[in-house]
Amino acid sequence: MRTQLFKNNKNKVWIVLFLLPVGLLITAFFVYPIVFLIILSFMEWNGIQPMSFVGLRNFTDIFANSVFQTSIKNNLIWAFSAAFLQIPLALLLALVLTRAPRGWRFFRTAYFLPNVISLVALAMMWSALYNPEFGLVNYLLEVVGLGHLGRNWLGEINTALPALIFSYQIYVGYFMVIILAGTLSIPKEFYEAAVIDGASVLQQEIYITLPAIRGIVVTAGTLAVAFALRQFETTFLMTAGGPANQTPVLGLFMYRRMAGLQYGRAAATGVLLIVLGIVVLSGLQRVFGKSDAVADSQQ
Amino acid sequence: MSTKRSIVFFVVVALLFASTSLFAGGRAETTGEIVLTWPSIWVGQDSKADVMEEIVAEFNEMHAGSIRVIVEPQPDYDGYEDTIRTRLAAGQAPDIFTFKLSPTTAAYYGGNLLMDFSAELAQGWGDNFNQGNLQASTIGGATKSLPYEIGFTPIWYNQDIFNEAGIDRFPETMDEFWEAADKLKAIGVVPTSQMTGGTNSWTSMLWYTHFLGSFGGPDVWERGFDDPAFEQAAAVLKRLYQDGNTTRDAIGADAGVSGGHYQAGRTAMFINGAWYIGNIRDNSPEVYRATQLAPAPKAGNYHGHQVGWLHTNLAAAHTNDPARREAVIKFMQHLTSPENARRVSLAAGSLLAVEFEIPADVELDPLQQQFIQAGNEAEFLIDHMEASMPVDVVYELGQAIGAMVLQDLSPAEFVDMLRAAQ
Amino acid sequence: MDTNTVIKDSLNETPFAIVVVANLLKWVLLIGYLSIALFPMLWLGVSSFKTNFEIETSPFALPAVWQFQNYVSAISVSGLHQFFFNSIIVAAIATSFNLLVTSMGSFVIAREKFAMRKTLFTIITAGVLIPIVSFMVPYYTLITRLGIYDTLLALIITYAAINIPISTFLISSFMTSIPKELEDSAEIDGCSFVQRYWNIIMPLSRPGLVTAGTFSFIYCWNEFIYALLLTSSRSARTVQLAIRFFTSQFRTDYAGMFAAIVLTMIPTIAVYIFFHDKIISGLTAGAVKG
Repeated sequence: MRTQLFKNNKNKVWIVLFLLPVGLLITAFFVYPIVFLIILSFMEWNGIQPMSFVGLRNFTDIFANSVFQTSIKNNLIWAFSAAFLQIPLALLLALVLTRAPRGWRFFRTAYFLPNVISLVALAMMWSALYNPEFGLVNYLLEVVGLGHLGRNWLGEINTALPALIFSYQIYVGYFMVIILAGTLSIPKEFYEAAVIDGASVLQQEIYITLPAIRGIVVTAGTLAVAFALRQFETTFLMTAGGPANQTPVLGLFMYRRMAGLQYGRAAATGVLLIVLGIVVLSGLQRVFGKSDAVADSQQ
Repeated sequence: MSTKRSIVFFVVVALLFASTSLFAGGRAETTGEIVLTWPSIWVGQDSKADVMEEIVAEFNEMHAGSIRVIVEPQPDYDGYEDTIRTRLAAGQAPDIFTFKLSPTTAAYYGGNLLMDFSAELAQGWGDNFNQGNLQASTIGGATKSLPYEIGFTPIWYNQDIFNEAGIDRFPETMDEFWEAADKLKAIGVVPTSQMTGGTNSWTSMLWYTHFLGSFGGPDVWERGFDDPAFEQAAAVLKRLYQDGNTTRDAIGADAGVSGGHYQAGRTAMFINGAWYIGNIRDNSPEVYRATQLAPAPKAGNYHGHQVGWLHTNLAAAHTNDPARREAVIKFMQHLTSPENARRVSLAAGSLLAVEFEIPADVELDPLQQQFIQAGNEAEFLIDHMEASMPVDVVYELGQAIGAMVLQDLSPAEFVDMLRAAQ
Repeated sequence: MDTNTVIKDSLNETPFAIVVVANLLKWVLLIGYLSIALFPMLWLGVSSFKTNFEIETSPFALPAVWQFQNYVSAISVSGLHQFFFNSIIVAAIATSFNLLVTSMGSFVIAREKFAMRKTLFTIITAGVLIPIVSFMVPYYTLITRLGIYDTLLALIITYAAINIPISTFLISSFMTSIPKELEDSAEIDGCSFVQRYWNIIMPLSRPGLVTAGTFSFIYCWNEFIYALLLTSSRSARTVQLAIRFFTSQFRTDYAGMFAAIVLTMIPTIAVYIFFHDKIISGLTAGAVKG
């Protein structure tokens, strides 16, 4: 088996040695817990008494739960917003900043800053912004004469989820930084030739930059979608799934099952969240192509 | 490549510095001494922090060389609950800890993780406690946690605003209540603080429980959701959310928002416990001075009751080592002695399940005095929802209120939502 | 010819009106998003000088009196300064360890040929999908079994491991894009396997390493749940736990907490500016400006 694995590779000892540390850590911190999670998803367990096997009952139970159904829908909306709102915005900002407009280093740092602020503080700020009694959003609407549009943004059925997703766009800088690392690695000779040929900025971006960074954009997109799918802290802190169960997500559903000492259902939710992630990401990869990381081109 | 070199240099220096502290935890145990660790939430900004520190220090001094209790500060209450839950699930209960006893956490009594105090309690120690609380903490004959802190939450109202609106006393019937609400609205004050946010819809959960007590009496929780009181109280709650009877941000608001409105004089009525006294005294002295306490108006058959429940129980890890067990018992007896309970209560304004006399010459905060009076005057106490229902139902309350108000559900549909979450 | 000249030259080819409109749109975008991105900082900064009452009841007003003592209490109540060292040790070592382990793995996955290569990559990076909070019980069990509960080492190993999937994604992305010829010529020159990793591939993957390192450092610095779960004594606690000393069961001292948050953000911002900005800018100077 081993000889087949490393056919014609003279570095097999080194390969194994180099993979050993990452393999150990992944086994201990991801494979073992996931196996635990999968086993647990077929068990009933309150964390105190011994586990008992219940077959698929955890799964059938949560599928029958309307909050779980809403959570699946909301998770898909979150994933969609990451792929089609967050990433385009990140890409646009990265492209503009790559061309080094005045003060670009300041912009780049500033855009990233929200990522270092504590989540609790950010959630408080957004809740206050959206508050209908003393919030800034309604106040600004009044100032520009649109006071009638003012509402309890996080407390109304139609606006709560969009308001949450809007607030999440503050993290665009994270993905912008990833894309920027890609655009800045493009050798400048590529552009020089194009300029000599008289290509406009737009043409340069379309024919040089975008193809060169396609892989890294897919990487950023994969991360963005994955983060959006597993996020629950923003929801937990700002709406706690409300109003009227409009904004729950799977991560929150899972956390609540843990708090309710229903570890089996929590594990089943966790497993389904991972499955959903795999499905969504492979769907997106089919559309946008694979990440650079294991591209076939260089092989 | 100077950057790389400087990074390597930094890491090496950091490693050198760290090598001493890297493996050092608080685990060191000297021979012969029993060390008990207590992950405690009564630290930092908590009103009981200072007095608890003193009590533990005194205990350690009394038993120097034989027992030492180490307090591990646990800020952030939600995080504390997560930690306790996880450690119990991993089969490793902390030596000493606290939790809220509810139908969900009653599961902690299962298995063999917690120490059963019933034998020692039967030998006289149990007399220190309020017997009802002790009974509530005993499941199947085992008292695996000790009742300690009591939650007690009368209705707070702002006498200055009531005067201004021409309301001469706190309403005793619902007709009077709605009339008072109209008078308050007429002078531009929102009648009540409400909220559906956080993990338990705190303020509104307490309002609901008050009315539940009025409709259903002291045993309403035991009768369960089929009792008509649940729908009747829901109808009152619905109206409290409508017609400007609460703030526009009530749906989705958290405890900071609902308390903030009362402190700012934007609302005239609010519900919370004695622990809130320090907060309002510091932030809003005028509202603090104007605050009076009352039982809920008579909505159904009962009046004059209050919402009060067992808020915090003390627990310890089960152990087969008799010396260790004795050490834990000694500490628990020290902590729950009437003398120390009085100190905690007077210093922090907490109400405790341990009975003690308050000396006549002690000067109490006037609002705290009112709390004690309200407790003495209460016809009966009713547990709040969090102490009576599984965690999932408590979560669902805020959602059900939101649905009832925003989607115009009937009170019956509201109760259905709670029932479904069970 | 530097980048700006390149761009100006190309702009000259386009009609004037389009240039103006494009420029305008560009600045609307840049400044519009800037105001969104900077607002939280500004709000947090101003709020950290207010009283609790002001924060709760008029969150967008300036403080009536600037409460400088919030910062004094931020340090005195939480003992913040005692935990800074722990946090720096944890974040720095966990990040370095993470980068070393991940870059070795990514190097092999991105640059070597062997069966199961893609499977391995998928297994490692699938971790990004996992809501890490679901691992509380297994992680607690693992750490106590390893006998490192309540040590900084527990946090270092956990954080280094948690960040492997993200770092692998970022680092291998860059390692894959390095032209094969560079390596081949190095091999002809007699470079060993390790030399190829350390002297050829690592320097060329700098943008990926730096980005992954920055993200890992910020994660380690801000992580809260596992810091609370895996440590218990003061000697092993981090700044995020110190911040929570302002939240007790019934009362949150937002003023003190915000001041503490502002203080704890300084190292992460410094790391971002010094490591990320400096190194990436160095790269810009090297690659784009030639």
